[in-house]
Amino acid sequence: MTTLLRTPTAWPSVLLRRDRAGRGRGRAGGLLADPAAALDAAVASGAFEGLKRAVRELGPDGTIAAVASSRLRGRGGAGFPTGEKWRAAAAVEAPRRYVVANGYGADPSAFTDRVLLESDPFAVLEGLAIAAFAIGATEAFIAVRAEDAEMVRRLEAAVGAAEEAAFLGPDLLGSGRDVTVIVRPVQGAYMLGEETVLLKALEGRRGQPEQRPPFPTERGLFGMPTVVQNVQTLAAVPWIVVNGAAAYAKIGSKASPGTILVQVRGPARDGVAEVPLGVPLRDVVALGGSPGSGRKLKAVLVGGPSGGLLPPELLDTPYEFDALRAVGAHVGSGSIVAADDRACVVDLARLLTTFCANEACGKSIPCRIGTRRLVEIADRAVEGRPMPTDVQLLEDTSADIVASGLCDHERLATLPLASGMRYFRSELDDHLLRSSCPAGVCRPIAVAAGATAAGAAK
Amino acid sequence: MTFIPGLGIVKGMASTLRRFFEPKATIKYPEQTPDQSPRFRGRLQLLYDEWGTLKCETCFQCAQACPIECIDMGGVDTKGRYHVHWGPPETYGERREESALRRSGRTVPDRAYERFESIDLVAVDEILDENDHDPKRMLQILEGIQDAYGYLPVAAIKRISFKTGAWYAFIYGTASYYRHLRFERPADAVQVAAVDQHRPSEEAYVARLDAALRGSRRRARKVH
Repeated sequence: MTTLLRTPTAWPSVLLRRDRAGRGRGRAGGLLADPAAALDAAVASGAFEGLKRAVRELGPDGTIAAVASSRLRGRGGAGFPTGEKWRAAAAVEAPRRYVVANGYGADPSAFTDRVLLESDPFAVLEGLAIAAFAIGATEAFIAVRAEDAEMVRRLEAAVGAAEEAAFLGPDLLGSGRDVTVIVRPVQGAYMLGEETVLLKALEGRRGQPEQRPPFPTERGLFGMPTVVQNVQTLAAVPWIVVNGAAAYAKIGSKASPGTILVQVRGPARDGVAEVPLGVPLRDVVALGGSPGSGRKLKAVLVGGPSGGLLPPELLDTPYEFDALRAVGAHVGSGSIVAADDRACVVDLARLLTTFCANEACGKSIPCRIGTRRLVEIADRAVEGRPMPTDVQLLEDTSADIVASGLCDHERLATLPLASGMRYFRSELDDHLLRSSCPAGVCRPIAVAAGATAAGAAK
Repeated sequence: MTFIPGLGIVKGMASTLRRFFEPKATIKYPEQTPDQSPRFRGRLQLLYDEWGTLKCETCFQCAQACPIECIDMGGVDTKGRYHVHWGPPETYGERREESALRRSGRTVPDRAYERFESIDLVAVDEILDENDHDPKRMLQILEGIQDAYGYLPVAAIKRISFKTGAWYAFIYGTASYYRHLRFERPADAVQVAAVDQHRPSEEAYVARLDAALRGSRRRARKVH
């Protein structure tokens, strides 16, 4: 059994290999066959120690204070301080409160959340129980991908075993608080990774984001205060409660301590790894191996489909929330894709923007129409029939979308093209001004540039 | 007869003065409407053209549109070949015909909304029972119905709306959002393919990302 995030000091880490369908090794053994035995084994290796300590020693306020002073930040991509979120939800007067664990893992090419839920479901459940106990929630949801039916069954078995052992359910560890955990498989939209969209899906409604404020901590699921956390954040909580906030704050970078799961997709290897936040991007990319002979690294896509394309010169950027935002990328799904010189940056940016535009929910106009315009600009660039105003239009449209967006999806959807324009301007100019593709990927319309003779000779 | 100069104008002005204080017959038309029966359409009259022939072409549009079915008419068609008639038998048959409705400016029933295929609703009711008829469990209800029928029939959505009290539009909006829920019968392969074209799958994205990283757009093109 691999204990991801439970021992957040393991670095350099190893890649957990997964096949393309997302199935991997490193599963908690025998969970489906005998859940109780699997739970006993997990408890013997330290699971649910944090919950016991939170309930018996710290109490709700003490737990929130511990999490807040560890400066743990949400692993869902935005990096919002977890302690602050819990404090806000606990402060609101309400008849009910909810905790939602977001294990959807929207990025189709990243398996980080799925790997965590398979390898150590009890860590997530423990974090969920601690969060529910701390803010006084009675119901907790785990939203997972319905496509992975076996993982759903395993998670349900784990919840059942934990309820049998009274780690969850009514009268949690004799504290007098009830925490009912409901596993809710969801599927069918990329946007479900966004917190308000996920809440809509749990309410059985069309998945469109809500304007903030009010934040979900104030008015979330069924109008009640709700804490939405990524499963990785929750899995990190037990260690903090057991070992103390000061110990956790020592790991990783100063502003964002702790470790995080990344999906590395390199030229030689790909898989999920656990890295401390703040390590240079270079070290993370190195996990995926070096490009083959004669090839060199051209760009690194950081953050999934809406991530930024960073040039090799920026590989010394620390892998953490603020530094990545500053250079025009983001942690996002934790996906890190290395592209060598076979790939064309403009083609790649077009692919990513198209995906983001297709997955737009259509609620806000800057998103629905603005991303469509970005795709059209990218299409024109790739097909070699650019318009003279395209560079200016790209800048203006991106700025407008960022300024008027409703949720993070559209603001981040501008990143591939915006970062491509920022760092790979010469390659974009080749497309837009000279109708040629240096990588030879896009169909160069040589005709447009007046080189018909060369084209005909081929 | 004595001639008194100015008497005529005085008489005339007297008449004007009298009329001045009488109630006015003029109404401010668009603001005020004349007191008329709401169905009044003016006098029925057949008009003649400048050569003295009837302008009426016996098109029956007036007869079809007549709300109280008072027009009964007959004549010959415009080429002078056939005797045509419009009366009660035609009225009741033809005025409900689609193009007649359209010509008389009435709403034409849309096939798409008019009727839907009826299905055996037992499975729908069972699924609703399992989910407590709770609109908050709409996704589970819809997924259950898709499992049972292979798609989401309109009749099933109407049934959910009727039993749970959720609006039809609410259910339709939820169902149309999620990629795995569909309204097309799996047997209608053409329709399914047409819809899937606009719903790129996640696997397609991953495959395209792989291809882009290998720069293989070029290689695919060379095949042609």
